[in-house]
Amino acid sequence: MSDRGMRRAGTVLALLGLVGVGIVYWMSFFWVSTEIRQGIAQRIFYVHAPAAWTSFLAFGIAALTSAMYLWLRDERLDRAALSAAEGGLAFATIMITTGPLWGKIAWGTYWTWEPRLTLTLLLWFVMFGYFMVRSASENPDKGKRMAAVVAIMGACLIPFIHLSVILFRSLHPEPVVVKPDGPSLPADMLTTLMVSLGAFTLVFLGLFLLRYSLENMRAELDAPSTGTAR
Amino acid sequence: MNLSVLRTSRLLVPVGLLFLFVLGAGPLVAQEMSNLPASQMAGQSLRPYWHVFIAYAIAIGVILIWVISIARRLAGIEARISEAS
Repeated sequence: MSDRGMRRAGTVLALLGLVGVGIVYWMSFFWVSTEIRQGIAQRIFYVHAPAAWTSFLAFGIAALTSAMYLWLRDERLDRAALSAAEGGLAFATIMITTGPLWGKIAWGTYWTWEPRLTLTLLLWFVMFGYFMVRSASENPDKGKRMAAVVAIMGACLIPFIHLSVILFRSLHPEPVVVKPDGPSLPADMLTTLMVSLGAFTLVFLGLFLLRYSLENMRAELDAPSTGTAR
Repeated sequence: MNLSVLRTSRLLVPVGLLFLFVLGAGPLVAQEMSNLPASQMAGQSLRPYWHVFIAYAIAIGVILIWVISIARRLAGIEARISEAS
């Protein structure tokens, strides 16, 4: 796909995703039923959980492309990893700021050092470190290689974050969707969650394409006039 | 090329403003539509509502910051390309 086509596809996907986010906001304020025990505060779930899943998707893409970059040394893979990591950090920021707001109502505290919260904060710092490592090295290629290792290390935390509520004593509720015997949410809550998940994923994919095309254009500009940007 | 970025920005800004409007109007309409008797309204705590609204504002705010940051960087790169050509 050409850069121009990528930008067009990215814009369309991002706009569709933003419209989807608008629909999710409408659904969660006016349509979905209120959870009986937590009341209105439970509606934070419809932005918190999709933001978490989207950030895991983004960090997964960053780790996969980073591993391929270490193997193939193709600059396009590094650019894809950088773009995905930036999106992942944005959605992880949403996850890590909306969670405590929900926790204050549900648990009575904004933060507690329980396994899932601690591992998630660690993941956020690891991925923040990804950008610091990239820019810290005087040799850009070395910085990219070190950052690729950081991205892979960060993604290794994701399965532990998912399983932490099962493996350890935790305040976090156990999974209500991704579990062996199927989702246990009421239909309207599950629908709102799925629409939200789709919308956040579309926003991420659209902005990821735009960000990737931006990196391609920057590489083309910075490349020597006789060389290529690959 | 510059035009395509401008077009993108022009599309994204109204969408962003629309979301901010929905975000602002949402709480008011939700309260209006609640149909709760006045006796129950008085006993309710508004704290969960504030937490929900702040969480939703953070979500759309972070997304919009990322959108604006990409649009600005794209505009900068396109300006550099048009200068170079």
